[in-house]
Amino acid sequence: MSDSLRDRLEVVFKDISSEVDVDGRLTVHANPASVLSVLGFLKDDGYDYLVLVSCIDWIDEGALEVVYVLSRYLDPADTDGGRVPMLLKTRVPRESPVLASSIEIFPVAEPHEREIHELFGIRFYGHPRLTPLFLEREYEVPPFRKDFDTRQYVEEVFGNVPPVGEGTQAL
Amino acid sequence: MRELDLYFGPQHLGMVGNFSITLTVEGDRIMRAAANPGYLHRGFEKLMELRSWIKDFPLVCRMNVVEPDSMEMIYAMGVEKLAGIEVPERAEFIRSIYLEMARVGSHLFGLWAYANMLGFDTVAQWAMYHRDLLLDRFEELTGGRVYHIYIWPGGVRRDFPEGFEERLVETLHAIGGCVPDYDAAFFNNPIFRERAKGVGTVTREDALAMGGTGQVMRATGMAYDIRKVDPYAAYDRVPWEVPTREDGDAYSRIQIVRDEMIESVHMIFNLLDAMPQGPVYERTPNPLKWRIPKGDAYVRCESSRGELGVYILSNGGESPHRVHFRTPSYPHGLTVLEKALVGESISDVGNIMISMYVVAPEIDR
Repeated sequence: MSDSLRDRLEVVFKDISSEVDVDGRLTVHANPASVLSVLGFLKDDGYDYLVLVSCIDWIDEGALEVVYVLSRYLDPADTDGGRVPMLLKTRVPRESPVLASSIEIFPVAEPHEREIHELFGIRFYGHPRLTPLFLEREYEVPPFRKDFDTRQYVEEVFGNVPPVGEGTQAL
Repeated sequence: MRELDLYFGPQHLGMVGNFSITLTVEGDRIMRAAANPGYLHRGFEKLMELRSWIKDFPLVCRMNVVEPDSMEMIYAMGVEKLAGIEVPERAEFIRSIYLEMARVGSHLFGLWAYANMLGFDTVAQWAMYHRDLLLDRFEELTGGRVYHIYIWPGGVRRDFPEGFEERLVETLHAIGGCVPDYDAAFFNNPIFRERAKGVGTVTREDALAMGGTGQVMRATGMAYDIRKVDPYAAYDRVPWEVPTREDGDAYSRIQIVRDEMIESVHMIFNLLDAMPQGPVYERTPNPLKWRIPKGDAYVRCESSRGELGVYILSNGGESPHRVHFRTPSYPHGLTVLEKALVGESISDVGNIMISMYVVAPEIDR
């Protein structure tokens, strides 16, 4: 299944590379510009379920990698393979990262993209509400990037709070 | 009529957990809903990048307070996949039994929340009591009542203690013997049927488009269960069925919860019968100096709420480079819920939300 899909992908898209691991899991690397067309192609090919959109900070390489995990909604009765989820990866530069939103193809991507925007700072083009999902304030460095030091942040923000009993007036 | 914005939660009697929804209402009807998570965001995934592979276990099980066991399982599966560890056969059976115990416990907790919210206080107390009986078994097996950290990369921490199997069967019989009571007081109760039938309907098309899994998907007639689709542990060694319903409403979802508990109990009996002897863990390197080879993996399992997965990436170091959990409540509580609430009445918000089994800490992580 994966092999023929891989062939079809490489015929249609010239600028992608792909690999299959020992479990038969297909990983496709695509340019940011062609991610949407690859996602649309995969959806039409049966990968109708966007499981997860994740992001990885490759700080040494100056890139943020967005990973789309795709799967199929199978009834247990189906036995035609394709049970192993596949990955679609793309890289955008860490400075001013922009990527097209995939909501039109997979509506379930909406909160995932909001989360990545807030925690990694990638702006998703065409997303209707890129408002914060979890956090209450904006940070200079998006907090899930590798150069955001959680320990230092905690010390700066909470280290100055006096312990209970000191500096607070007894009631 | 004029449209109003109504802030529902995080402090609201009809809301379970720290979660809020902004409802745009016209009279009693909901026109639009916007979910606001974040009250429990602890940044666990970031904290995990700073700790060693083993020290991450106490964090992962706190992502879902109600059912920490599936979280342990999925993280252990991810580590095993990256490190190439094979789990002994007996450990696979123990894991399945343990996870089914957790599923029954979690469903009873969910039933408590649901019955309590609808005003069926007696049923809620029964469910809490029966969950407590199971917690005694967990305590005996693992030493902890709520958080167990029993599953370990390579197997489980220890074998069943002497006489545990008999006591587990006894406990399950004690719970199962009350199914007729539950049916009479709750599941077949006309008052409950009136309250839940046709409420919060999610169609198959919406569930497919919005990333629905678990009860949300199975209530639309689709037998989608990771234990069958992509079997792990010992789920392919014994026969069992995936319960489904057709209507897609709150009533169907809760009926599935009931059927699943019964199925899980039967499955535990079958697993106990089929369980082989042997070691229960595979020796792993010194956990304090454990480096896991470079690579990434997406693994998944079926928690009591739906598909639970983790994308885990190692760059060869002593701690993960990135861990990202795909929790079932994430799409259910954000995309599916926002869609399902449209057109419903304000009094049914909690009803719909709990019937989808949304747990806030799982969304926020």
